[in-house]
Amino acid sequence: MPERITHDDLMRFIDGELAPEDHARIEAQLRTSTELQREVAIFNAMKTDFQDLSFQPAGSGHSVWDRVNRQLTRPVGWLLMIGGAAVLVAYGVFVFATSPGDPWEKLAIAAVVIGFVVLLGSVVWERYRDWLHDPYRDVYR
Amino acid sequence: MSSGTRKGDGLQPQVERELIRKCRAGGARFYEPLVRAYEPAGLRIAVAMMGNVEDARDALQDAFVKAYDSLHRFDLRRPFGPWFFQILRNQCRDMLRSRQARFKVEALDERLELRPADAEKGPERLRQRAAARELLWQALEHIGAEHREILVLKELQGLRYAEIAQVLDIPEGTVASRLFHARKALKDALMSMGAEYP
Repeated sequence: MPERITHDDLMRFIDGELAPEDHARIEAQLRTSTELQREVAIFNAMKTDFQDLSFQPAGSGHSVWDRVNRQLTRPVGWLLMIGGAAVLVAYGVFVFATSPGDPWEKLAIAAVVIGFVVLLGSVVWERYRDWLHDPYRDVYR
Repeated sequence: MSSGTRKGDGLQPQVERELIRKCRAGGARFYEPLVRAYEPAGLRIAVAMMGNVEDARDALQDAFVKAYDSLHRFDLRRPFGPWFFQILRNQCRDMLRSRQARFKVEALDERLELRPADAEKGPERLRQRAAARELLWQALEHIGAEHREILVLKELQGLRYAEIAQVLDIPEGTVASRLFHARKALKDALMSMGAEYP
């Protein structure tokens, strides 16, 4: 009586993962069982259809590398720039505050600078918020 | 196309190892050849797992970033491909879970690559093949992510059982049984959609 073919054996047979003697054993049983032949034929047909799905996804000409690179390198750049700018600003404020001069003059200059920073900050924030919700930001020409 | 011709494609193992060493030393630019080599295979897996190109590209991008961040844990004696595909597979599953993003099928028509062998078989045969592919693509929506991922790795990516076991982090002996259940689920889905098989 031939050894029973398990589902695992059948899968290994279809995928060419069996040792030659096991492959031959299943082939021999296949010749005698129409039910088994039908099952193998169905799985093979599905396999062929699946492999035909080998498509080239749209937009694949545009590598994902640009986006990956941006994510890898930009945080470092931002960190250095913001850190350096913070040191410079702190030093500038210290020098400005401790320098001799008319307090009213200092106050006026400080108001102009702070006003400018607030305006710039609000514009940048607004643009950033728009960018976050921009549905076309990943659309390439 | 025979299974086994896909995989990661392109880079020699020693080149791959050298690039990874340089990346670990802080050279992000050395990551580019790795990304470009594994991008086509990764995109195929991700598209088949997510069902559409947009989500697939997001998953692929995040997987590459995660892989880069984890390169220090990568065992240089092993190939990069299965390790990366494992990260990608986890990323796709996470995205499907966390974003409640359902596997959503996108029409295939515009992105099917016509293979020369197909073109030689005449328009009727071409039409039948295209219809079968479309049906199969739709059927993928009806099977679970676990079934889908193993089918993708086997049929679309052409990985051997040992490689699939590595990617899915399961014993090699379990691969055949998982594949059987996945194929059976796909067959049932196809039959319920009216597909005809011999």
